[in-house]
Amino acid sequence: MGLSELERTRFARHLSLPGFVPATQEFVRVARVQVVGAGELAGPALLSLAAAGVGALLVDDAQDLAPEDRAAWPYGAGEVGQPRLYAAVAAVRAATPLGAVRPYATGTNPTAALICVSSAGLARDAAERARQAGLPHVVALGDGEDGEVVSVPVGAPCYRCGSRLTKAPPRPGPTAAALGTLAALELLQILAGLVEGPGGRRVDLTRGLPQARATTRTAGCACGRPRGT
Amino acid sequence: MADLLATKIALVLGAGGLGGPALLGLAAAGVGRLLVLDEERLEPADLARQPHFGAGDLGERRAAAAARLLARQFPAVEVEVVERPFAGPGAVELVCGADVLVDGSGDVATRFAASDAALLAGRPLVHGAALRYTAQLLTVRPGETGCLRCLFEAPPPPGAVATCAEAGVLGPLAGLAGALMGAEAARLLRGERGSYAGQLVIYEARRARLRAVPVRRREDCPACGAARAAAATATAGTGAGAPGEGGAAAWA
Repeated sequence: MGLSELERTRFARHLSLPGFVPATQEFVRVARVQVVGAGELAGPALLSLAAAGVGALLVDDAQDLAPEDRAAWPYGAGEVGQPRLYAAVAAVRAATPLGAVRPYATGTNPTAALICVSSAGLARDAAERARQAGLPHVVALGDGEDGEVVSVPVGAPCYRCGSRLTKAPPRPGPTAAALGTLAALELLQILAGLVEGPGGRRVDLTRGLPQARATTRTAGCACGRPRGT
Repeated sequence: MADLLATKIALVLGAGGLGGPALLGLAAAGVGRLLVLDEERLEPADLARQPHFGAGDLGERRAAAAARLLARQFPAVEVEVVERPFAGPGAVELVCGADVLVDGSGDVATRFAASDAALLAGRPLVHGAALRYTAQLLTVRPGETGCLRCLFEAPPPPGAVATCAEAGVLGPLAGLAGALMGAEAARLLRGERGSYAGQLVIYEARRARLRAVPVRRREDCPACGAARAAAATATAGTGAGAPGEGGAAAWA
């Protein structure tokens, strides 16, 4: 189905872009993105993906809202202590009527994943599940003032091969929103087929400077073997 | 450090795709007072790159909608909507009332006016822009680094540069640039030099490519020259630090 008048108006800035045709926006619309996490990084990412026209956001989070989560865009000061999942769903629904947002559950069949969690271990586990499921995914992890965003299109070196953060990082600092929006930007480009250059890449955000490099497969890593073997 | 930032004031031009995330970042960092200047109303085409606003804000003045959002999320932060155009008489005085100027306006003339006013006021400027798949960032430290006129000399003739409405922008790229601007302004307010000081940082999203173009002060730059002259006059008159170059010491 083509874009509606409302969609053409809403996404006029996208449709003016070189290489971005109405079918590109339709690719974005049919995407169903599992978003793992709903905190400082995921909040801006959720709103950015919803605003960009992603068709369905499936939020996967088990934490309650902490005072620090106010750095994430969707949450009000009065919501601290409430489940983040429900606050995130309510915020995205209020932001746009065009896409769907609901809690992630088995059987919701995502087509991609965005992973914005607070520990390297959780990020590795979620990324490996996405890889095993054959989903393109992007992982953002804060590291104090800095952080990284690793893009893993299908077939690219896995997150474990591409990440440089292996220990428990300190809580994300003032650049959390930048990391979240950068992660949304990277995933949106994968969904829309806009990425140029090598598909798998890591963008290191160091003191506000985003530096990218192509990821390479670690010798012997299971991600080099066909799925299911 | 939060106590230091609580005493600081930031003037943010634009509350949209760049200014909105910058405002949220400054509030989250603990900046005590935010001055918001944006005369535009929120339109449907804005929402794809201004996700901090919702469909319920359509038709409203963006500055007022941003102030309401900030009050809900950061009630301790004082937010004031500045009800006047930026360019023109009073711009320098307005900038003098803040510790940092963040330019998230989407308009070339305003960008040059912001750079000129920051120099004359002796306040650091964080400049940002996003168009198509590219974002650019620059921090101007008056008396120390080059300004917008050192780099581009003068605004291009009307119609020579495509606007966001004509050329488009990928939604989350504006949010990324705005969030980086907010974090940069917070660095400046903490007394740091700033990551974009003296260099135009250009990020191309499709290739994830970063370029940095050095921005040095041009000896014949009219804006830097006017700031030097203003500083010299003020210093001769008072024998003390003054806006312009002398004022730079206040935030260095």
